[in-house]
Order: sequence, then C-alpha cells, then structure tokens
Amino acid sequence: MSILQIHAQPSRTTVWILSWFLFATGIVSYFWVSRARHLDNPDDRVMPTLHQMGRAFADATLKPAEDDEVTSDPNRQSLAAKIRNSMLWKDTIATGRRFLISMALLFPAVLLGLHMGMFPYVGSVFLRFVLFFDKIVALSLLPILFIAFGIDELAKVMLIVVGVAPTIILDSFNLTRGVPKEQIVKGFTLGAGDFAITYRIVFKQIWPRVLNSIRLNLKSVMLFLFAGEMIASQDGLAYRIALLRRHMGMDTIIPYVLWVALLLFLVDFGMRTLNRKLHPWFQEA
Amino acid sequence: MDNKPAAAAQRQAAMISIRDVHVAYGQPGKPARKILNGVSLDIVPGEFISIVGQTGCGKSTLLRLVLAEEMPASGQVLLEGSPRTRPDRHCGYVPQKYSLFPDRTVLDNITFGLEVTEVGFFGNLSPARRVRRQEFQAEAFGYLRRMGLRESDAIKYPHQLSGGMQQRVAIAQALIMRPKVLLMDEAFSALDPGTRLGMQRLIKDLWRETGTTILFVTHNPREAVILATRVIALGRTGGDDDGANVVLDLPVPDACDEQRVAGFIRRVEQSTFPDGLRTEEVDAAEA
Repeated sequence: MSILQIHAQPSRTTVWILSWFLFATGIVSYFWVSRARHLDNPDDRVMPTLHQMGRAFADATLKPAEDDEVTSDPNRQSLAAKIRNSMLWKDTIATGRRFLISMALLFPAVLLGLHMGMFPYVGSVFLRFVLFFDKIVALSLLPILFIAFGIDELAKVMLIVVGVAPTIILDSFNLTRGVPKEQIVKGFTLGAGDFAITYRIVFKQIWPRVLNSIRLNLKSVMLFLFAGEMIASQDGLAYRIALLRRHMGMDTIIPYVLWVALLLFLVDFGMRTLNRKLHPWFQEA
Repeated sequence: MDNKPAAAAQRQAAMISIRDVHVAYGQPGKPARKILNGVSLDIVPGEFISIVGQTGCGKSTLLRLVLAEEMPASGQVLLEGSPRTRPDRHCGYVPQKYSLFPDRTVLDNITFGLEVTEVGFFGNLSPARRVRRQEFQAEAFGYLRRMGLRESDAIKYPHQLSGGMQQRVAIAQALIMRPKVLLMDEAFSALDPGTRLGMQRLIKDLWRETGTTILFVTHNPREAVILATRVIALGRTGGDDDGANVVLDLPVPDACDEQRVAGFIRRVEQSTFPDGLRTEEVDAAEA
C-alpha cells in the first residue's frame, strides 16, 4: 500500500506518532551529535549537552544578568523575587512590552484599512501610498529610523509598525472590500448610516479575520523586534542572544530560542482561542 | 384624449414612478452595453408586482434603481414623488443571498434596524436602553412566530439555519422596519421546490396582512403569476445591444379562474422565453 494516497485514512495513533516523529528525530540527532562532539572535545561549546543547557537555563531564570546591579543578597531572596530579578524574566518583560506596544499600534492600521475599504475618498488618498510603502524592505529603513527616532524604544517600535502595518492595512482593506455589497445595502435599508454600517456591520464581520491576519504576522512582528533589539538595545531577548553570541554561549542561546518559540506559540494559541470564544459564528460559518 | 387625465392621476397616486429610465454599463475605451432602454412604470401603493424576464434582461437592475443602489444614466426614479438618491429604510430589501448578518443571532438580526434607528450608538449608554431593547425583542419574537420559526431559533446564527429559514428571518428583518416598499431580488431562487412553495404562501399572506407594496423579481413566470397582482415582463425587443424594455404589463386574473390563469401564465412564458419554452422545462433544466 502506497503512503501517497489521497484517500488514505491513518489511524489516530499513526497520526500522533507521525506528527511527533520529526521532533523526536531532531532531538535524538542533536544529542547524538552533541555527545560525539563532547567525547572528542569535553570543552565543546557549539553543541551543549542537556545538562549544560539545563544549568544555563536555571541560571537565567534564577540569577540576575552579569551586567545588572545587585541590590540585595540573592541568597536571602524568595524564589519569586529571584525570578523577578532574573535575566530571563527582565529580558522577557522588555521584549514583551515592546511587542505589546507594537501590537496596540497596529490597531489604527486596521481602522485605516477599514476606512480605505469603506470610503472611496479615503481609499483614493491612501491606497497607492500604502501599496508603495508595502514594497519597501523595512529592515533597509533601520538606519533611517535610528537616525530619525534615536536608538531608544521608539525606533524599535516604529520598525515593527513600518514593517507590519502596511500588510495589516492592505489585509483589512481587502477584507472590507470582500464584505458582500448586499450586506451594506441591507444596512442602509434598515436605517443604518455610513458609520453604523462601517462599525456595526463591516468591522464586526472582518474583525475575526483581521485577528487571524495579525496572528499570521506575529512572526514578522517578532522578526522586526529582534532586528531592532539586536542592533540597538540594553535589554530584551534578542539583545541577550546577540550578546551571548559573542561569548559562544550556546548553552543559553538555545534555551532562549526555544523560550521565544514557546512564547510565540502561546500568544498564537491564546489569540486563536480568544477569537473562537469571542466569535463563535466565525469558526463554524 | 380622455386617458391623459387618468394617466396623470395615476402618476400622482403612484408610490413608485420610473420615468424613461436608461441604464448602460461600459468600460473605458469600450462601447457601453445598454441594459434598460427607456423603461417607464407607475406602481401604486399596495400592489404586488412581479418583474419577470430572462437572465441578464435587467430585472435586478430595475430593482436596484428603486433601491437607489444604482443611478440611471438618464430618466428618473421617484418614491412618493421624491427622487431616490441612496438606499434608505423606506425600501426593505431581501436579496437572494447574504441577506443576514453572519455575526448576529437571528434575534439580533431582526432587531438590528430598530436598534440603530431607535437607540443609536450613544443610546447604548442610556439607562432606558434595556427597556427599549426588551420591547424590540418582544416585537421580534412576534415576527419570528409569524414567520413559522420557533423561539429557540432566536439564538441561532444564520449559518445554523436552512436556506428557507434564513429567508424567513430576512423577511422579518425587513418587515419589522415597516418599509413602504419591499424589494425581493430572486429571494426564493436558491430554495428547493417544497420550501419555495411554503415561502410563496408566506409572502402572499404577509402581503395581505400588511398591505406593503412588494416588488418581486423572479425568472420564473409561474411564480410571478401565482404571487403577484400585476406582472411586468422585461425583454429585448430589438437586438442584443438595444437594452430591455417592458414587453408585458398586465394585472393577474382572479386565481379562481384557473383556465384564465393558465392562459396568463402561458402568455407570460411566451414573453419571457421567446423560444417557446415552458416554466416546467426551464425548472427541469435548472434542476
């Protein structure tokens, strides 16, 4: 029996095994190669062992960063205080704050796309400009942003906005234009005005789709955020990864990368769950 | 000579006046394609008008003109003497599809018009809002029952309803606003024959009860005759480039006189299907 059959019906167990197969293969291969390298050179820093990574991650979650000022004796601190002062926690909070500010700044982008799709004059003013802006490689603007906004928080947030906002604007615009005309005419015949139709009919219908679009762009958001943090920052997950790279600190870099992936996965999962709970009609429709 | 004052009086009494309307669609650099070529009609209050014709003859365009979703290249469309400028609550609308808001439950769909017109956005902040909303819901439940739907359907979303149920809700949603005219664009075309028959009975009963003027677009001559008090057939008398005009405009004979009705249906069929086809044959081909 060929595995390349359109009508194949793998059992649940088979699906479960197959879906974890590549994870298992990757992990086993890594530790196999790592062990071989460490047998050859016990001081190898390129592929740390599980023990090394565990110790480095424990240090990152319980100890402050080397460049942090230590205000009290760490041995007297509670576990919660240790975590609160830890390198990982502080980096996560710094990156998370920038991420949330950027996400909040994407909301006006959604509104602009909505208005461009609903009101022809607004569309005429912005569409061509946004289409052009969308083609600019955001990372190429990085030097300009640092010159214009300085190397503090604003430049990093602006990089995300410049990089992702055009996509979100165009997505919202297209989603707005995709709402059947019958719905808009129906709104008018039920006594709704232009803004009632825009916000109470069209916006409500496109919002779950926009959330999906933002969700699919999460990786781009993080990409721009990491670029900004790696180049000019004093804290943050990407700053730490860039810093540790100089010392070949793979035992911390690898757990950091996995931590970022886990955070992004949780945000994605949270947004998907929220979308499903808030808009039961959307998933089933 | 004697007919002129009578015609003028009818125009004055008309709820909808369509006067010498021309519509053409075209792309830049290409010759415009005529759709309607000088259509004139007067529709008095309380009439149930069926507009029938072949696909692409301009039936829906005519409806969109009354709705003011579209403007004629020349000519006028008047509602109670006032030119139509944009769709408003005077004209209820039931399209063939996308007739309900997918993000709202059945109850919210029906009360939507009342909410936006009576409560408004800032009215949501008013303490009296809850009382008003209860009144709307009570009225909506009345319509729901009248449409033959269960109260338990009120919390369902449109995608959880069958096509026939969706159209029943769409009719309730339009009628609750008490429009002067109800415009139905192939509203039953996507339904199976059994459901369609039930919907035809329902709309006829509702028309008798409310006396609302109804413009019903269909490509089915039998449905047009069964439902309406007057049938208007559109067709192209000249070539394909000439645009459509009214080729038949007659009151429907009394339903008791079956022979006359059958003859009338045949006449409408001849106006609608110049190839001598009958509704049953067209229905069978569609099926």
